[in-house]
Amino acid sequence: MKRYDCLKAIAPYFQDELVVTNLGGVRHEWHALRPHPGNYHLQNLGLTSSVGLGLALALPHRKVVIFDGDGSLLLNLGSLATMANRNPGNLIHVVFDNSCYESSRGAPTATAGVTDLAAVAKGAGFVNATTATTAEDFEEKFLQALRSAELHFIVAKVEPGVGDVPPAPLDSQENKYTFVRYVEKAEKISILGSPHSRAYDRKS
Amino acid sequence: MQPKIAAEIVSALKEAGVDFVATLTEANLHELVMALAEERGILHVPVTREEEGIGICAGAYLGGKRPAMVMMNAGFLLSANALATVCLHPGIPVLMLIGHSGGLGEENPSHGTVGMLTEPVLQALHIVYDRLGRSEEIRRAVLDAHTLARSSRRPVALLLNKEALR
Repeated sequence: MKRYDCLKAIAPYFQDELVVTNLGGVRHEWHALRPHPGNYHLQNLGLTSSVGLGLALALPHRKVVIFDGDGSLLLNLGSLATMANRNPGNLIHVVFDNSCYESSRGAPTATAGVTDLAAVAKGAGFVNATTATTAEDFEEKFLQALRSAELHFIVAKVEPGVGDVPPAPLDSQENKYTFVRYVEKAEKISILGSPHSRAYDRKS
Repeated sequence: MQPKIAAEIVSALKEAGVDFVATLTEANLHELVMALAEERGILHVPVTREEEGIGICAGAYLGGKRPAMVMMNAGFLLSANALATVCLHPGIPVLMLIGHSGGLGEENPSHGTVGMLTEPVLQALHIVYDRLGRSEEIRRAVLDAHTLARSSRRPVALLLNKEALR
């Protein structure tokens, strides 16, 4: 199966979930399928799981979905231990495991060898850690996670390859402002705050 | 760290509005980390690696928290790419409290190099920082550093020197 097929299968179920995407093709595919201000496209390899965890801990009543990759998660395996210990019930950590560094011309990752990321997650303390090998299987497992109030880790074993989609046009600063303004409005909170202006200073 | 200094830092963080702290402990930070773990007004997340903490703090900020990261300078050096790509590039503030091992008074011969490199790396990343140690300067420094982090939307660092750590 392809990553794009997995994303296509689950996109119709999304409502107001917050999504953090990994570097690489996944951000373009997801933006094409679900252009939404609640998508945060991280421009860093490795910390997708950590940014998603921070977001889930900050907004425990909002569902947060992480679209990670094997190369990224392998850089930050410790995040699985932190995540399992915090155990946020509003977080779903999806790893699209293509067993290679696809955006770096395809050299194999450790999962092309003997490493099993769902087993690593179980060892880190995840109660719900599973692997999907077909798009139907992935859709079913993701839907189950989406409808539960527990932390879930789902590895989707995919073939390399990027869907036929245009590049997502968002740059990082724009994406940050769009995302933060969306969260501010949806949650009725202030994140950026009002810039201080001397025009509003009053001297008595 | 003296319990009095740890209590002053926690109290200053609360006064500044910090409500989320990721930590990676060390012998000199133990009292501070334990005090944060017991502080009910602050969500405390112990992490396994410092750059992970930077990512968690960035995510918490995007969700409306006011985050800080407590770590040693070795962990700060480890976090350079995380700070560049996750914080500096999009413009996300994180207040960093960094234990400065390898500074004046350091007895451990293996800490000197990390100590010497800490400020040049902060400068190379264009991260505004201040050094502090005396109890009476902690509160003002924490409040001011947090104000700058939020207004500039960038990480800001406070280096805790030997006087604060011992």
